[in-house]
Amino acid sequence: MQDKNYYTIDPEGKLKCMKCGVALEKGKAKFMYLDNGFPVELPVCPQCGFVYVPEELALGKVLSVEKALEDK
Amino acid sequence: MAQINERGSTHVYHVNRLSKDMMDEMISRCIYEQPAYCNAACPLKLDTKAMLKAVAEGDYKKALSLYEKASPFVHILSSGCDAPCEAKCKLCERGEGVAIKDIEKAVAQYGVRSKSGGVFRMKKKKTVALFGSGLFCLFLAGELERKAYPITVFCEEADLESFLAAETGFLSPEAFAAELSRLKGMDIQFSFGSKLDREFFLEKRPGFDVVCASKAAALRFFPEAVCDEALMVYPEEKLVMGLEGRVLDCAFAAKRAALSVDRLAQKLDPGNSRGEEGATETRLYTSLEEVQDSVRVPSGREGYTREQAVEEARRCIQCHCDECKKGCAYLEHYKKYPALLGREIFNNTQIIMGDHQLNKPMNSCSLCGQCKVTCPNGFDMAEVCHLARQNMVSTDKMPLAPHEFALLDMLFSNDEAFLCRPQPGFEQCRYVFFPGCQAAAIAPETVKAAYLDLCSRLDGGVALMLGCCGAICDWAGRVEMLDTVTEFIDRQLAALGNPIVIAGCPSCKKQLSAHEGLKIKGIWDVLCEIGLPEGAQGLDRPAALHDSCGARGDQETQKAIRRIAGLLGCRLVETPYSGDRSPCCGYGGLTAYANRELAKEMTEKCLDRSDAPYISYCMACRDRFAREGRESRHILELVYGTDAGAPPDISQKRYNRLTLKNDLLFNIWGEEASNMEPDYKLEFTGEALKIMDDRMILKSDVIGVMDELRQTGEAIFDAETGLLIARRRIGNVTFWVKYTETEDGGYLVHRAYSHRMNIVLRK
Ligand code: SF4
Ligand code: SF4
Ligand SMILES: [Zn+2]
Repeated sequence: MQDKNYYTIDPEGKLKCMKCGVALEKGKAKFMYLDNGFPVELPVCPQCGFVYVPEELALGKVLSVEKALEDK
Repeated sequence: MAQINERGSTHVYHVNRLSKDMMDEMISRCIYEQPAYCNAACPLKLDTKAMLKAVAEGDYKKALSLYEKASPFVHILSSGCDAPCEAKCKLCERGEGVAIKDIEKAVAQYGVRSKSGGVFRMKKKKTVALFGSGLFCLFLAGELERKAYPITVFCEEADLESFLAAETGFLSPEAFAAELSRLKGMDIQFSFGSKLDREFFLEKRPGFDVVCASKAAALRFFPEAVCDEALMVYPEEKLVMGLEGRVLDCAFAAKRAALSVDRLAQKLDPGNSRGEEGATETRLYTSLEEVQDSVRVPSGREGYTREQAVEEARRCIQCHCDECKKGCAYLEHYKKYPALLGREIFNNTQIIMGDHQLNKPMNSCSLCGQCKVTCPNGFDMAEVCHLARQNMVSTDKMPLAPHEFALLDMLFSNDEAFLCRPQPGFEQCRYVFFPGCQAAAIAPETVKAAYLDLCSRLDGGVALMLGCCGAICDWAGRVEMLDTVTEFIDRQLAALGNPIVIAGCPSCKKQLSAHEGLKIKGIWDVLCEIGLPEGAQGLDRPAALHDSCGARGDQETQKAIRRIAGLLGCRLVETPYSGDRSPCCGYGGLTAYANRELAKEMTEKCLDRSDAPYISYCMACRDRFAREGRESRHILELVYGTDAGAPPDISQKRYNRLTLKNDLLFNIWGEEASNMEPDYKLEFTGEALKIMDDRMILKSDVIGVMDELRQTGEAIFDAETGLLIARRRIGNVTFWVKYTETEDGGYLVHRAYSHRMNIVLRK
């Protein structure tokens, strides 16, 4: 399972970390909820590790997975 | 900041068993499944109601196939039946019942048999002999042929016509001809001209698995034979034996006999495992409220025409119970009758592993108890859903998401926004005013005016307690949390010298009444005693009074409110479902949080009762009605000449509670209030405010994110939109804020969103 990614977003250089002054890159992250983990690839700051969850993702896929897990 | 622990894991594999007896007892109160009056009266178990529906729809084919379940000989039955169903028809209470028998005649006459069945049916292995003729034998032959037994009929008659003619002299020539052709089409062996004596019987008997006889024939074989009429069996000889009687007697006896044949064919005791037979008593309830005088469609000498029968069948009201559904948007919405929905919700709590698909319905009931009043048997969906919620919480299977906002709001009311002080000049007080969290959130000015009034007109000191009574966590099924709130409030009351609580909200009154030794009355009771303050004035137009679901069963409160409305000079219009039958506005039971759309339907259902402005005595009702655009006033607003105006959004509701607390602290108790504003400028676009209210994101959540940003400097810039984005995990939720910086070192918030899943880096 570890190698499967449920979701991938490449920032394509359009996002910048304000703290580190560098562009965000596609990086490995994981959503955790109620003892379940979902590996994903999201825009991540290569220096400080800030992981960005875009609005569409939060209100779309993330929300529907949350709902499904909540009723488990 | 207050926090509630999220469920640990979805991998919890145990349940709290609910007692099945308790569950059955609660659920059996719903009599929806009980048969209609006509159906119950029919010993042949004809589904009269369904047959009438088919006729009403003009579907004679379907009607006939339903009618034939009573007997294949529909002409004999419809001509000769005494129709006990007619006497039991519910419409008899309003005049003439449905002319069921005449409609049955029409069904026999105009119905066309469907071709299927019979032809390719496998015959049973066990064989049956039937000795004799007459109505019983005819009906029994029909029953057994339908059950696919190979049957041989031994009769004295010389041919089929004379066999049929025995005891059917009442048939018209057309009906006789129809039955004759029906009989001809049946797969029955006939041995005409048989000599029905004992020798003949004894000779034939060994060739069959089961033997049956008319009463007359049986007595010839065994003069001492006595029939056990429950089974239609002469037990000593295991002989199925008939009776002589009217058409319905014979048809019903043939049903019992056919069942005995089944048992005997399997060499089983015919007295066992027979199930329910014959006519029954029904516990059904059907309202005749909308039925006027009941008059039959007249029939001609030839009986009903096709069209007349349809017209008469349309008069059937298809008896059923929907008393609860009529008044409740929740039951209407889920469309299932309560016994079924209740059972599914109970079962939902007992799932060890897998999806709890009924979580949403379980959390969508407003727990208002209306059905307990409208149901003729007191079925209580609130009890079912409340117990189910408690059960889910106790096994850590209850999702926190639907209720977290409300629960945090309650903790806010009892923490940051909480206030408890004796009236200045008193150490202990005779009274304490408890307006309720919603009043402070929605109409702070009204709360203040009411408190000042009580202080000035009551002797012995009036303390004030701003907080939540605990109804929120009770509704959420969180028993332990409720215990904590109860203890907390009791401690505060003890410090005030256990004063009499004056509740400003009927739900608080109900909730607090459960505390041991607590004395409580409503502010409405006090106002009835001391009179209204100067300037109190009602609306100048007729208004509808909405009874709060918190006051259900509390006649005193309902009466006091009406008295006050009278003193105010209000002209109240009559509305259906008032008093104890009042529906919930959608706030109760946390419906508004768990199922926003349904809560809206509930509000609309309340408002459907009248076009007039609404007067209520619970702030949540006032708020929800105003939100739907109706002119809506709390009765205390009229009493104190205040107007809370347009309904506040979720952030404003928190802000109102804090400002009320600070205002009163400063102006009544001379205490300096803490500063609630951040020390930087924070502005919101109109769109941001709308989005936040919609997504249940508070300004305080945004402030939390910006505070963190100012400490860590962590944010990203999106070149595509030109917006900066910051985030913070607060409790169980991650909040994201999209903003721009302003010239004065502050921020303008453009959008905000949140998610519950936690995001972490992965190596
Ligand atoms: S009112 Fe509702 S709950 Fe009560 S018996 Fe009728 S259908 Fe069942
Ligand atoms: S109204 Fe219709 S369903 Fe009700 S008892 Fe009469 S025939 Fe039966
Ligand atoms: Zn960085």
